[in-house]
Amino acid sequence: MIALKNITKVYHTPFGPNVVLDDITITLPTGENIGILGKNGAGKSTLLRIIGGAEMPDLGTVRTDGQISWPIGFSGGFSGSLTGEDNCRFVARIYAQDVDRVTDETRAFAELGDYFYMPIRTYSSGMRARLAFGLSMAIDFSVYLVDEITAVGDTNFKTKCRNAFSERSQRSSLIMVSHSPDTIREYCTRCAVMHRGRLQLFDSVDEAYKVYEAHQAQEAA
Amino acid sequence: MVSFMGAFAGFPQLCQSLPLTVLRESRYLLPRRMSESEALETDAKALAGPSLRRETAPFINAVIGQFNVINALILRETRTRFGKHKLGYAWALLEPALMIITFAIMFKVAHRKPADGLNVFGFLVTGIIPYLLFTKSTAQVSQAINGNKGLLFYPQVKPLDVVFARVALEFCTYTAVFFLLMGGNVLVQQKVDIADPMLIVAGFAMASLLGASLGLIFMGLGQLSNVADRTRGPIMRPFFWISGLFFTAHSVPLGYRRFVLHNPVMHVTEAVRAGWFPEYSDQYVNIPLVLTWVLGLLLIGLTLETITRRRIQMS
Repeated sequence: MIALKNITKVYHTPFGPNVVLDDITITLPTGENIGILGKNGAGKSTLLRIIGGAEMPDLGTVRTDGQISWPIGFSGGFSGSLTGEDNCRFVARIYAQDVDRVTDETRAFAELGDYFYMPIRTYSSGMRARLAFGLSMAIDFSVYLVDEITAVGDTNFKTKCRNAFSERSQRSSLIMVSHSPDTIREYCTRCAVMHRGRLQLFDSVDEAYKVYEAHQAQEAA
Repeated sequence: MVSFMGAFAGFPQLCQSLPLTVLRESRYLLPRRMSESEALETDAKALAGPSLRRETAPFINAVIGQFNVINALILRETRTRFGKHKLGYAWALLEPALMIITFAIMFKVAHRKPADGLNVFGFLVTGIIPYLLFTKSTAQVSQAINGNKGLLFYPQVKPLDVVFARVALEFCTYTAVFFLLMGGNVLVQQKVDIADPMLIVAGFAMASLLGASLGLIFMGLGQLSNVADRTRGPIMRPFFWISGLFFTAHSVPLGYRRFVLHNPVMHVTEAVRAGWFPEYSDQYVNIPLVLTWVLGLLLIGLTLETITRRRIQMS
């Protein structure tokens, strides 16, 4: 269970304050996979970072049980000057995991070849995604926060991600952010829509998608 | 997860909780992520579930957790700082050594002798190395957030952990450099003539604390405005000239001596020199004065850190 209470986040821009998250109070069940739909810049990623504890809200509290992953995406979490291997070692250490096991499992999953021993800044975004995903799979989280990452990569990688998740669906669940309803439909049973700083949870992806479409149409008009 | 913060028995976190208890309790000024009791409750739940952590008391867990984080950060910082040079960590030793050799040559060419009849090599080492420790600590700490955003992505890594790791790394590096240079000097001179090693260690500790606490202020200001980074250079520059790298307090005319001794970094140099040279007295070293400076700077720095904590943006 992830209980958000009065979560508010305002970014100060040269053009005035931008309320990204506007007093969100919601409880997300962690027994099933939840997707979060929303257009670019709607605050989905910000919400994920706040749930994961990478950023602090201006107001409000987050209560969670179980071990929650960091937001798994292409950006953040890696330092470009270090190799893939060194980044794995660092993450294994801060999560108090066996360094060699995590490194081996990540290398096997990511299939980066020699790039595993090269600085991250030489990676393509697809390669970063593989590494981030493999690394998070090597650590047993009860909730994985996934930020758009499965959208990239070839068919092979996508199949691999799907299998990895279905394998551990008994003990772990997903919160996935995307602006693509297809990706969400593939993984999630429930879905929330992020619109104008508010988050609304629906029982089915189709229902959420309809509301999302309505918002889109409204914006276009 | 939340209890990772603020549990490690270190002074910054302790100091941090002291003056700001009122602010932190206030939901309106600085809403917190979770209260202590909520955190404990969550910890208990996390332990009952398929947790990564073994079933020990939450406090012990937090201490171990923070130790893991700082340890991982130190290893990582070592890699990023020195890993890119072919010479690696040896560069950390060579850089200050080259600086000292350059100045030694300049002294020779200019036919200058250090004040109070001190030996040139010792005079330069005791002046330059503590000064480098001070300025590098400030620079490293001030960049703890902006230079390392990728790390703060992980919830258990907080800016103060990065600060701890960086201060520890600088302290170890320059202490090692200093004792290696001192050992080299002993080999060349063929005699062990060190007045008071503890005074040297005290001087290094003070340089590190002063640098770190000043760096914290720049780190906090850096979150408020990007002007802070640009003002750091001009503010730090004068310390090169006023901290006794090229003079001793004793050699300053009596009327000006007390002005020179207002600068806490001057006391660092004096302490290290008195610790190295048996013929130089520690009469000017005022440790309580330096510690008062450190406490004052820490108070400002940690207050700024607490205030700006929520402004850190990951992207």
